[in-house]
Amino acid sequence: MRAPLAGVRAALALYPPSWRARYGDEVLALVEDSGGGPAAVASLVWRALPAWFWPQRHLHDRPARMRASLGTALMSWSMLAGLGLVFAQLTQLQGLAPPGHPQIRWAYAVFDLTLAASALIAGLGGLPLWLLMLRRARREQRTRDMVYLFLPVIAPAAYLAGLIVTVRLAGSVSGVSQGWFGVITLSGFAAAATAAAGPGLALRRLQPRGPALRLAATAAGVSAATMAVAAVAIVVAVTSLNLWARQFVGYHDGTLSGIYLALVVAAATVTTVSAARGTRAALAQP
Amino acid sequence: MTDRLDRWADPPLLVLASLADEPKHGYAITQDVAETMGVRLSAGTLYAVIARLEARGLIEPLESDDRRRPYRITMAGAEALAQQSERMSKVASVARERLSTRLGWAGA
Repeated sequence: MRAPLAGVRAALALYPPSWRARYGDEVLALVEDSGGGPAAVASLVWRALPAWFWPQRHLHDRPARMRASLGTALMSWSMLAGLGLVFAQLTQLQGLAPPGHPQIRWAYAVFDLTLAASALIAGLGGLPLWLLMLRRARREQRTRDMVYLFLPVIAPAAYLAGLIVTVRLAGSVSGVSQGWFGVITLSGFAAAATAAAGPGLALRRLQPRGPALRLAATAAGVSAATMAVAAVAIVVAVTSLNLWARQFVGYHDGTLSGIYLALVVAAATVTTVSAARGTRAALAQP
Repeated sequence: MTDRLDRWADPPLLVLASLADEPKHGYAITQDVAETMGVRLSAGTLYAVIARLEARGLIEPLESDDRRRPYRITMAGAEALAQQSERMSKVASVARERLSTRLGWAGA
């Protein structure tokens, strides 16, 4: 009996999680009762693909979908924002605006505008949800969740404090060495990931729902779309610098630029897809 | 050939017909369908059908303490079953009539 059940469990793993959560135990009970063997496993495998292509709407846990999308989008958005800040540090803030290439200036301007707009939209859209979770965490004296919720403030503050100390100790008139720049950059990404993980964990633990969640999921979609434009601006600027104005590229390394652009595209894709799924769940008819 | 025609038996209709008298869980449905209608529903087919019927509001799950959750036909499901049964009844009646004319077959 064990072998067929192991096969059934393996076949059930092919189904969408919502389908599995709803019917998985019932299917196992049916196979236990009927003593179904390979035929039961084969029929389940055969029906798994249609379950993905034609998902049943009654199985959708929309708040769970929105929470999961928000958590993922927040993390990938933070990584993208970090990549954007690296871009700004290595280009704009160095005054690298080659003459005769208006697309680079335009890309800088679009990047600045869209990054600011995206952060503003995400902040304003997420604030009611953040306050809702904070109120609940305070009311129920959930200290750990309160810490998670304040991580977006604590992590960047700790990073900035560390940055100031590092620059004072290791910096010179011309800035910090390449090695220290790497340390500062990696620490920045770690701080961004920590800041994003806090609300993501709070979302998972407190499981909020209602209008504040829908607003946050919708705002995440708009914010992600705006951030995608910033990512396009980065790609345009970095590609243009490498193709037509290499003397202005601070690090003179095409491979690094390629890796950087691949990371930007990957983060932008994850952010956009995840936020879009959350927004679709927020806007769907109940 | 008869086996091939059996494949045209519509699983959603079989499940609705099985639930027409009383709520049943998955295994009870497969047993009932096999005994009364002569069709074996596999686990994959049965739960694909249950998910579809539930999504369309034709059946509904009942509370259950164990993993064997029973399902009940809804009013919409009963109406759909009645309409489909009526159509099938007409098809059966026409088929019997024409077969009896041609072959002198009086039916079972």
